[in-house]
Amino acid sequence: MYNHIAIKAENISKIYRLQKHRTFKEFIPALLGRQETLIKFNALSHINIEIKKGESLGILGRNGSGKSTLLKIIAGVTKPSDGRITVNGRIAPLIELGAGFHPELTGRENVYLNGSILGIRKKQMDRLYDEIVAFSELKEFMDQPIKYYSSGMYTRLAFSVAVAETPDILLVDEILAVGDIKFQQKCLKRMEEFRRSGSTMVMVSHGPEQLEKYCDKGLLLNEGKQLFFGDIKETTKKYAELY
Amino acid sequence: MVQKSISFKALYVTMTVIMTPLTHKANKLYKNIQLLWFYRELLWNLAHREITQRYKQSVLGYAWVVLNPLFQLITMNFVFSVVLKVDSLGVPFIIFLSVALLPWNLFVLSLTSSTSALVGNSSLITKIYFPREILVYATIIAKLVDFFYSCIVLVFFFIIFKTNITIHILWVPLILLIQVIFTMGLSLILAALNLFYRDIQYLLSLVLTMWMYLTPIMYPVEMLPERYRFLFALNPMAVIINAFRQVMLSGAGPNLNSLSIALAISVGVFIVGFLFFKKLEGEFADYV
Repeated sequence: MYNHIAIKAENISKIYRLQKHRTFKEFIPALLGRQETLIKFNALSHINIEIKKGESLGILGRNGSGKSTLLKIIAGVTKPSDGRITVNGRIAPLIELGAGFHPELTGRENVYLNGSILGIRKKQMDRLYDEIVAFSELKEFMDQPIKYYSSGMYTRLAFSVAVAETPDILLVDEILAVGDIKFQQKCLKRMEEFRRSGSTMVMVSHGPEQLEKYCDKGLLLNEGKQLFFGDIKETTKKYAELY
Repeated sequence: MVQKSISFKALYVTMTVIMTPLTHKANKLYKNIQLLWFYRELLWNLAHREITQRYKQSVLGYAWVVLNPLFQLITMNFVFSVVLKVDSLGVPFIIFLSVALLPWNLFVLSLTSSTSALVGNSSLITKIYFPREILVYATIIAKLVDFFYSCIVLVFFFIIFKTNITIHILWVPLILLIQVIFTMGLSLILAALNLFYRDIQYLLSLVLTMWMYLTPIMYPVEMLPERYRFLFALNPMAVIINAFRQVMLSGAGPNLNSLSIALAISVGVFIVGFLFFKKLEGEFADYV
């Protein structure tokens, strides 16, 4: 029914109920004393967006406006408190690279582990492996535990795994402080290729210029509320007016 | 490129499971099995990571899995057999102890590691979606592998003391399966709770110590006064441990009555644990 839709959010809200008390010792007296044990915090309220396959969305907003929360909801990491989210396709999150890496394992082992976390089959990883290594430019280091890697090498490898296979939906949070200029350009080129092959991208950024370059649609958030959703040029204009 | 397009959202429905009708639940369970199948390689990879990472940078490496129970057994054998002179029903006490203590160790290690499985992987939980119970299952698989290696000790004792093995030893896989189902159920509950309250891990070590003494590991069930025997009927681990001992040492089959009850309790605990875990799953990333 929604086959042409990649992401559809209907009236999504997210309320965080933050526990005031971390241990029983604090919690039980509070509960017995009928104190409030939860702090409510509206991270997102009433978000409505619809992204077709192949379109790209740029999310703009200040720190704490709910951008990352929305990205997490799309990624399926957290569920909305209210409303409905529909996501069609394989998601590759470029949110904080290398989350699944383990320092004691070698580069090669980590590549396979991370691949399976992203839902890529081993057979397919076998085929992608050489390309991943070539992209990361870390061929000589693949059999070393990655605890000996520099932080630049670490993120380079993580990025290479994440973009090895064309995803249906690519989630990008505050991109590309990855490696040197040359590597950054390589990454941007790869993302451009994804776009051309029909992937949907969702990008979060403070920088309107970058979003204008890569996105068709824009969503402007302020304190969890949807100020604007539509053409990216208009979104960045509204963003500029806001500040 | 092969595009394996599965709708994550369609599969990832974690609403109030316990309140929904049964058909709905069956449907959900089916979807969950599908999802687990999709992520089966992740399960093996995480289990493999758990096994290989642990003893890296230790000189003896994986040998610790065998050395640890060996010295534990030798010490406990000295205390309970030589000092306290506990009756061991006609077999060398160390064998009597091993067949019970090794599965018990599996139980304890699985529970304690599973309890911190979610918390210890918070960086994954807050970033990427996959069925979270995989972290718990992977931990248990890793502990099972350790257990099989630790059984080398038992085989070694069997050979030294020339213990008679009967056909009834074939019951062991079934008993082990019951134990694993029970462990999985408890682990899911503990892992989820520990994410919200870290007290669980401390409480657990206390409870496990008490539980160990109340399970016939270091003494035979027969030593217990008749009027306290009901305690064992309520304790699935007591039934399981006792069944291990019966089929390996007494040359007879297990008590099928109590074993079926243990199986029923284990499956029950697993279902409750699973539903509980799935109900809370959507909130893990917010609290971890």
